[in-house]
Amino acid sequence: MALLEIKNLDVRYIMKERQVLACDDVSLSVEEGDSIGIVGESGSGKSTMAMCVLGLLPKDTTRTSGEILFQGEDLVKLTEQGFAKLRWKSLSAVFQKSMNSLSPVHKVCKQMFDIYRVHTPGADENACKAMAGALLDKVNLPQSVLNLYPHQLSGGMIQRISIALCLMFDPALIILDEATTALDVVTESQILRELTKLREASGITCMMITHNMAVVAGSCDKVAVMYAGRLVETGMTARVLTEPRHPYTQGLLASFPTFEGKKQALKGIPGSLPDLSGEIPGCVFAYRCPHAAERCFNEKPVMTEHEPGWKSACWLGPR
Amino acid sequence: MARYLLKRFFLCMIAVMFSVFINFALVRLAPGDPISIMAGIEKPNPLMIEALTKKYGLDKPIIVQFGMYLQNVFRGDYGFSYRSNLPVTTLISERVGPTLLLSLTSLGLSILLGCWLGLRAARKKDTLFDRFFSNLAYVLDAMPNFWLGLMMMLLFASTLKLLPTAGMIDVRAGYTGFQNILDILKHMILPVSCTTFLMMPGYYRIMRASALQAMNEDYVTLFRAAGMPRKQVFRSYVLKNAVLPVVTMIGMSLAYSIMGVALIEIVFAWPGMGRLLLDSINKRDYAVLSGIYLILSISITAATVLLDAVYAWMDPRIRLS
Ligand SMILES: Nc1ncnc2c1ncn2[C@@H]1O[C@H](COP(=O)(O)OP(=O)(O)OP(=O)(O)O)[C@@H](O)[C@H]1O
Ligand SMILES: [Mg+2]
Repeated sequence: MALLEIKNLDVRYIMKERQVLACDDVSLSVEEGDSIGIVGESGSGKSTMAMCVLGLLPKDTTRTSGEILFQGEDLVKLTEQGFAKLRWKSLSAVFQKSMNSLSPVHKVCKQMFDIYRVHTPGADENACKAMAGALLDKVNLPQSVLNLYPHQLSGGMIQRISIALCLMFDPALIILDEATTALDVVTESQILRELTKLREASGITCMMITHNMAVVAGSCDKVAVMYAGRLVETGMTARVLTEPRHPYTQGLLASFPTFEGKKQALKGIPGSLPDLSGEIPGCVFAYRCPHAAERCFNEKPVMTEHEPGWKSACWLGPR
Repeated sequence: MARYLLKRFFLCMIAVMFSVFINFALVRLAPGDPISIMAGIEKPNPLMIEALTKKYGLDKPIIVQFGMYLQNVFRGDYGFSYRSNLPVTTLISERVGPTLLLSLTSLGLSILLGCWLGLRAARKKDTLFDRFFSNLAYVLDAMPNFWLGLMMMLLFASTLKLLPTAGMIDVRAGYTGFQNILDILKHMILPVSCTTFLMMPGYYRIMRASALQAMNEDYVTLFRAAGMPRKQVFRSYVLKNAVLPVVTMIGMSLAYSIMGVALIEIVFAWPGMGRLLLDSINKRDYAVLSGIYLILSISITAATVLLDAVYAWMDPRIRLS
């Protein structure tokens, strides 16, 4: 059984004058030990899906339907108390903008210890220090950062601390929402290498949300491509990145530079995301798709499997 | 932090010097004879002229005059009120107590109440509680303070006869000891609640807004995801972050808090500086006016530096930079 099985997930943001369908019929399964990359342009609903899995979407302004099976439990129906048991011990995360993930007026140690004590009531100073020491070692940070305030650390150090924090209880699944976006390439690749090592050592399953195809190519064995709230293609990284099926994936890959081969102009995809507050009867990408046929505007494409584990949602066959 | 505070201190010293200088320059630059301005009468008698000329060195060059003026100010000599025949310091020190009693009590109450209500409203955003107090804050803001004072006086003192109308003590009763304190407290109820009603909305609003903002910060998401109970996140993290803007606001509104009660003092015949100020304006008692101005600017500047220190101590981003 898959560790995480998302089935027909719909998430709507309810605002006064309109609604936004941020996740539209998303189905995705993540096996234990997987490292899956979620890609797609800004606003495609990646963070929304992650927040939904984490049970952190505001209840009063969102509507969720579908199923999210995690270790056999449906997270969509799970109560706050039910979530409390999963949090950080089985399910943890590094959030987008993790630079602001620490309170500016508290020392790093207080914040780390407080989180530790939530799940280990009555842990004494020494136990906390030992825990923090081991975690900081994992991300190559010196012990001295414990006594500092966040403003005394660099952005990269704070992101390392955020990553260290999510590894605190060796959870079954970690979700990294653009955990390394704000870093320079050297630090980024260093952290990614450390992360891959940690993952291989402890068997943690990892969901990596990113804009960076190089990150996917380097650290994810599977990839899921999202566009305008829908999943358009998913499969093994090695296959999807070399022979993308969906026109959106093709466009996305053409927007990234490669070092191999001869110099060519980056293509990009003309146009922008459709308005998510209206119903889109056909394919969400049809309006920007270079190959769109009439059917694409009227009928919603279904996810079809070409090879085991490799699916895409497009009416037109492979080209 | 020492450097930060030293810098603040120097800036404040400059501000004080500036206000002392303005005070000095105003009399001398104003049309007419400085002596008659200082004496507060059209034709001062020769003895008075001689005394003033000597004291302020009015026959000497302007630089020397400023030096002498500074000397007087730092010695605590703020001049003599020829109207009341008393030194200005005596006049002011008699009045400073009641004003501080009224303004600091109201300030403390409005900070406590405003912050408490603001925090609750933030936690219960968009509930009836929040809507009620947020609207009440606007209504109170739009209310002139003397009008609210008069209305409360009319209702509680004149009509219901529950509380005394005016003053700080019941002179005829001549209470002493504990009875006296009780009497003062009874007299305080109306002016203090009136002032509190008017100062509270500011603290309510800023506390509510900054708590709401702090509750939306990314670290709150992290702590929630890490399984920390909402209450603990609020008490241990949101509170400490949210309270900083309130400290800033206290510092900024300190001057207003102390002099803003002037109208209330006048309405309730409270024997404080507000009354003294009004009387001195009516009597053209320049010495008293400039004394009040100087003492206020110096003490408010001092209090501001103190609050800056408190702020710096609370915010590591300043303390450790
Ligand atoms: N709190 C919210 N209220 C209303 N709409 C929202 C909210 N958060 C996100 N949305 C909308 O939901 C859609 C998906 O947003 P989401 O943050 O999930 O995108 P994303 O793929 O994570 O983008 P990015 O790569 O920029 O982080 C967007 O159209 C966005 O406008
Ligand atoms: Mg996002």
